[in-house]
Amino acid sequence: MRRVFLPFTVGAKRSVPMAIAIAMGSLILLDVFFDEPHINDLGGFFVESTVIVAGFALLLGILNVLVVHVRRITKHEAGWPYSIALLAVAVVVLLAGIPGPESAPFTWIFDHVQFPLQAATFSLLAFFVATAAYRGLRLRSLESVAFVVTAVVVLIGQVPVSRYLTDLLPAAKDWLLDVPSTAGVRGIVIGVALGTVATGIRLLVGVDRPYSGREEGGQ
Amino acid sequence: MAFLAEILGNLGIGAQQALALSLLLPFFPLLLLINRRIRERGRPPLRPVPAYQALRDYLGEATESGEAVHVSMGTGGIGTAATAESLAGLMVLEHVAEHSEATGLESIATVSDPSLLPAAQDVMREAYAARGYPQAYDPASVRFISPDRAAYAAGVMDILGHDGVGCNVMIGSFGDEFLLMSEAGGRKEVRQVGGATSPSILPLLYVSVDHALIGEEIFAAGAYLRRRTLHLASLATQDWLRTAIILAIVIGVLARSLA
Repeated sequence: MRRVFLPFTVGAKRSVPMAIAIAMGSLILLDVFFDEPHINDLGGFFVESTVIVAGFALLLGILNVLVVHVRRITKHEAGWPYSIALLAVAVVVLLAGIPGPESAPFTWIFDHVQFPLQAATFSLLAFFVATAAYRGLRLRSLESVAFVVTAVVVLIGQVPVSRYLTDLLPAAKDWLLDVPSTAGVRGIVIGVALGTVATGIRLLVGVDRPYSGREEGGQ
Repeated sequence: MAFLAEILGNLGIGAQQALALSLLLPFFPLLLLINRRIRERGRPPLRPVPAYQALRDYLGEATESGEAVHVSMGTGGIGTAATAESLAGLMVLEHVAEHSEATGLESIATVSDPSLLPAAQDVMREAYAARGYPQAYDPASVRFISPDRAAYAAGVMDILGHDGVGCNVMIGSFGDEFLLMSEAGGRKEVRQVGGATSPSILPLLYVSVDHALIGEEIFAAGAYLRRRTLHLASLATQDWLRTAIILAIVIGVLARSLA
């Protein structure tokens, strides 16, 4: 009996998610392209439903954080005391958030802990840009020579004092930003748009499957 | 032209939608046609993309040295504006997961958007299940860090610094936080491959990783790493449409200039 049903269950495991993805994708596509009230309402409903799905995904995420850090603590892996701190802070924030996101303890945590930490992390960028520039501006190839020359011309051209040296530098900077840079960006954007369309179509026809049963897809 | 516009207008299709349709409609038949041609005549040669070759080499080196590989799929998620980039990251994760399963290489995948978590876990699980070793899959190998970009970057910096990572792959949608992570990897002399589509991030990417995938190159992972026929056909279709767009631009410029 199991032999009879196994191919059906395996087939259903692969085909049911694919059928749902194709049907939903086609419906949303129709919603985007056609101004038909019934399709628009249905499309709108499914787009709004993704918020609920995202909510459940966040619960899965929290569970994943718990699993990873509880395991790190029990196995005494490197940095396990930090995992205790993480779980303790998670519990505190959870308790503070129970009265609602507008509650005083919750907003205090955001204003006095979360935001300063975010600002401190991103302030590191200033130093990291300097070290990245140091490593990136080494002349390794013809490409990097072009990169360095362009960077130097644009940097000097941006500084007001460069106009006292020569009018050529600000003009060269403007030309670099207006012509090669804009052309390059447009080329990249067109390429990305085509790549996005290709990914969407592969998803729509079931070649790419970010869900179970992908091992036969796309071959 | 006015007649066509009237028909489209009656169907409730605006100018923007018509433009998108003109890109979408030829794609599908062209994809099928090229796919059939590839099946009949064999796989076409691909221009070398050094980052994909480097990724293969780096995975091999990490396996030999017993180090781990970290894969980041960016700060975007599925169902967001960055879905395509996130799926490109998932495609690379699929390749890394299969390599890990075959060689015993430890792989750690991190996500910022929770919608990517089940997809990434599924990719890892299936890589092991496909070879008959589902029990070898470690649920903690895919880690959700935080939807906040700064917190995600801090979490990845910690992994790159302390988890014995020898190869760092970051492909997906990124903001400025990319530099925080890639510089943390660079300071630890981790071999790095990065890929992004946002033009404002590309200079940071170029200077901070060993090999960069620029723009649309990230969408070619299926063709370069997996050698899947339909991905190769998709790549060729993109090339044909790109040529058509270039011709349309040139004809448009000439028509406008001569009018």
